[in-house]
Amino acid sequence: MASRVEILNDGGFRSDGRKQYELRDIIIDLSQQGSADGSVVLSHGLTQVSASVFGPREAKMRSQTLHDRANINVEVTIAPFSMGERRKRSRNDKRVLDFASTIKATFEPAIQTSLYPRSQVDIYINVLQQDGGVLQACINATTLALAAAGIPLLDFVCAVTGGVQSASPLLDLTTLEENDIPHLTVAMMPRTGNITLLTMETRLHVDRFEEIFQLATSAGHVLHREMKAAIKDRTRTLVAAMSVAPKAVGEKDPVYSERMDDS
Amino acid sequence: MSATVSLSKSEKSYIRTALGELSPIRADGRSLLDYRSIALETGVASLANGSARVNIGKTAGEESGSGTEVIAAVKLEVEGVLEGEGVDGGRLMCTVSCSPAAYPHLSSAALDDLSYDMTIILNQCLSHPSLHPKNLVIIPKRRSWLLTLDVIVLSDSGNVYDALFLAARSALCDTKVPKTRSVQYQPKSNALGEQDVEMSAEAPASIFSTKEVKSTADFELADYWDEGEPLDINQEWPVCVTLNLLSAKSLPTYFLDATSQEEAAIPLRLLLLFSFSPSGTRLQSMRLMGDGEIQLESMTQLLESGENHARKLFQALKNKLQEEDFRRNQKALARFDLR
Amino acid sequence: MVTFTSFPNPKDSFSYAPPKFSTEDKNDMDIDVYEDDDDGEDFDSGTKLTCPGEPITSSHAYMRGHGTFIDQETVISSVAGTIERVNKLVSVRAIRTRYNAEVGDLIVGRITEVQPRRWKVDANSRQDAVLMLSSINLPGGVQRRKLESDELQIRQFFEEGDLLVAEVQSFFADGTMSLHTRSLTYGKLRNGQLVCVPPILIRRLKSHFVSLPCNVDLILGLNGYIWVSKHINQNRRPGEEGLDAESVYSNQNEAIDAPTRMAISRVTNLIKVLASHFVPLSDVILLEAYEWAIENDVEVKDLTQTDVCEALILTVGTKG
Repeated sequence: MASRVEILNDGGFRSDGRKQYELRDIIIDLSQQGSADGSVVLSHGLTQVSASVFGPREAKMRSQTLHDRANINVEVTIAPFSMGERRKRSRNDKRVLDFASTIKATFEPAIQTSLYPRSQVDIYINVLQQDGGVLQACINATTLALAAAGIPLLDFVCAVTGGVQSASPLLDLTTLEENDIPHLTVAMMPRTGNITLLTMETRLHVDRFEEIFQLATSAGHVLHREMKAAIKDRTRTLVAAMSVAPKAVGEKDPVYSERMDDS
Repeated sequence: MSATVSLSKSEKSYIRTALGELSPIRADGRSLLDYRSIALETGVASLANGSARVNIGKTAGEESGSGTEVIAAVKLEVEGVLEGEGVDGGRLMCTVSCSPAAYPHLSSAALDDLSYDMTIILNQCLSHPSLHPKNLVIIPKRRSWLLTLDVIVLSDSGNVYDALFLAARSALCDTKVPKTRSVQYQPKSNALGEQDVEMSAEAPASIFSTKEVKSTADFELADYWDEGEPLDINQEWPVCVTLNLLSAKSLPTYFLDATSQEEAAIPLRLLLLFSFSPSGTRLQSMRLMGDGEIQLESMTQLLESGENHARKLFQALKNKLQEEDFRRNQKALARFDLR
Repeated sequence: MVTFTSFPNPKDSFSYAPPKFSTEDKNDMDIDVYEDDDDGEDFDSGTKLTCPGEPITSSHAYMRGHGTFIDQETVISSVAGTIERVNKLVSVRAIRTRYNAEVGDLIVGRITEVQPRRWKVDANSRQDAVLMLSSINLPGGVQRRKLESDELQIRQFFEEGDLLVAEVQSFFADGTMSLHTRSLTYGKLRNGQLVCVPPILIRRLKSHFVSLPCNVDLILGLNGYIWVSKHINQNRRPGEEGLDAESVYSNQNEAIDAPTRMAISRVTNLIKVLASHFVPLSDVILLEAYEWAIENDVEVKDLTQTDVCEALILTVGTKG
């Protein structure tokens, strides 16, 4: 599909005015939605997804429980109006299921599931608007929702897309760019630098891979800082709200010492 | 329709007794006919031709997730009448999908059933010929717009049907149909004089392209950067009022805007859909939900009071939509000034 | 009767400028203000905040507690919350999380399933709790052994959807909690309505049975479920007149007059408002909020309106 728009013009600008390595605006809204244990609405530029986490809780179907760890259940719904061309995908659509299982596989190594045997963690993702980097947005949103729900994580999982336009690598692609150039999505855990996901559905020259992979990994660190700031900001707000209230008569300080001893 | 929350017998009887008293008090202090506050915003989906978000009953505060929240969006697509699925005059199609986050305790099969039920109710009402907009035609007998209205239920704390139709009406009122202009290839010579140009579907003379021979008459978007014109029956899109019936007695007490707990405690709900237009008020659709029954005589009375409530809701919504239009115009102007 | 409002504007503080990023110029990355956050000296209230994956301290000097793990001799946080240190033990307390039970906790739960000789109870925890038939007070005497007939009519005691107040008795090997209702103060709940709040907002109190002077009783379950009901006179509690099944396991509410109902609704709304601003609940604060609502003559249904909420939170906050 040849595009009439230049992906990268002579001045080094992309179609939306960004530079090669510039990421799009991130908006993170961690306020409570519905009865979820943790929820977030996340935008990368014009791509917008919401994620809600329920759990760890009793599994809806007993057959799904695992005796030694929690089962992670990911369900993705894609709003029919999220794309330029309307497309209704049911939740049982092969591509949607595949997408959900990719996200599940990304988080298996990050969530400390062994702490909650026989429980279930439900992750419900709604894709509200798509403009490239949907997988990256879903993964970042899931990380934030899990952290907001107080589910133990080994680390954040930060995802970013990278592509290459005739030898010049680009980051955080829009739909326009995704349609035109080879691209990949990398999800990494910033503390260790471990990669939990790497997908590529287009062909890419093997010599280009190294460079773009490195770039995406370092962009992950940048995203990590933003996400961490948002989580801390929220924690700070909540802690502040909780300290406003006067202490009740006869209220004990949380008896943590006793409980901690047996762990 | 199964309840989405589980209640104990004593909770149910607590709710029912409170509603049935001489001066009824509801769990949240409202009287029978009070609505919770309704938040509304239009233009929430940038890739849609019209959209709206509605939340009924959100408590103020960062940490309250309460309220029934739905998003509705309209998309317009061109359909060929001859070659595609299109119908002359355009089509209107509605779907509802419930996010699992709205019903965290339902299995996915139950969730699909629920979405399907809601889709049927919305679609049957809105795609009825009496509500068909005339300006979905692009080229008569050739091209028309397919209007799809997709609604997503993001969270449900009761009265989801009223929310569905509020969002649907707001999204439809917000919809702008792009202006189009028919273009037609006029052969230079009269070589094809005998043939009716309008009917020459297979005419080889087209200079557009060999692929496009079928459309000797095509259209282009009129090059206004203006968004287009609203659907021509803007005012007629119906509003829904759900009357929650406390009992099946001959003079049933009813209340409006039930919470999920209240819905779980009552036997019957009556959905009434009214359309208000200059030409008069029409009852577009009605549905009795639940496992009880009501007597025929009480129906007339319920219809009458339902119409009253619907009219108030309609008027309030109309004002709010105007307000929203104003807000968005101001916002657009402000942005324009910045540049 | 119908009021339309607008959605609140998203908070500005949550939106970030486009993160600039460039490989040629590493300094670009330092522009960000959040860089210093790692050292986290933001102790307004003496608490230190952390989030998943953040190193806290060396594992040589400290032991790891809840919400942490050890990797390469460093204690690392696994949840977002506040760091708590007791002697050599470091743990992180998550702000929003499901209820973590401890033996002896008082909880309010809802029956989700009836199984042979036991019930499953939703208690906002990581798994449904278990209530054994042998852990409830059987009608006809406190010390009676359970009979086969009790097993057959298990639904006479509790059935699906029923609410109960219970105490956490013990844990099974897989971490499931086991409950008991073997006290006259525990058992089936009637005469009121339920409110759910995040569990962290319920502090440990001397007593979780609170009686407000407005003829309203509260049971503050540590799992975040709160039962608001009509005040029952201590010596009129059903248990006192001998345990007969009708009174203990009855589903019948008592007659409740209008002012009491109004008070119950008012308390419920106050709890919702306080919880939606993340204010921890206690008898003192609820009483204060109640008095404020009465003094200012706020109608029950108006309590959830934005301006009223803000005024309330402000009052409650300044008094402390």
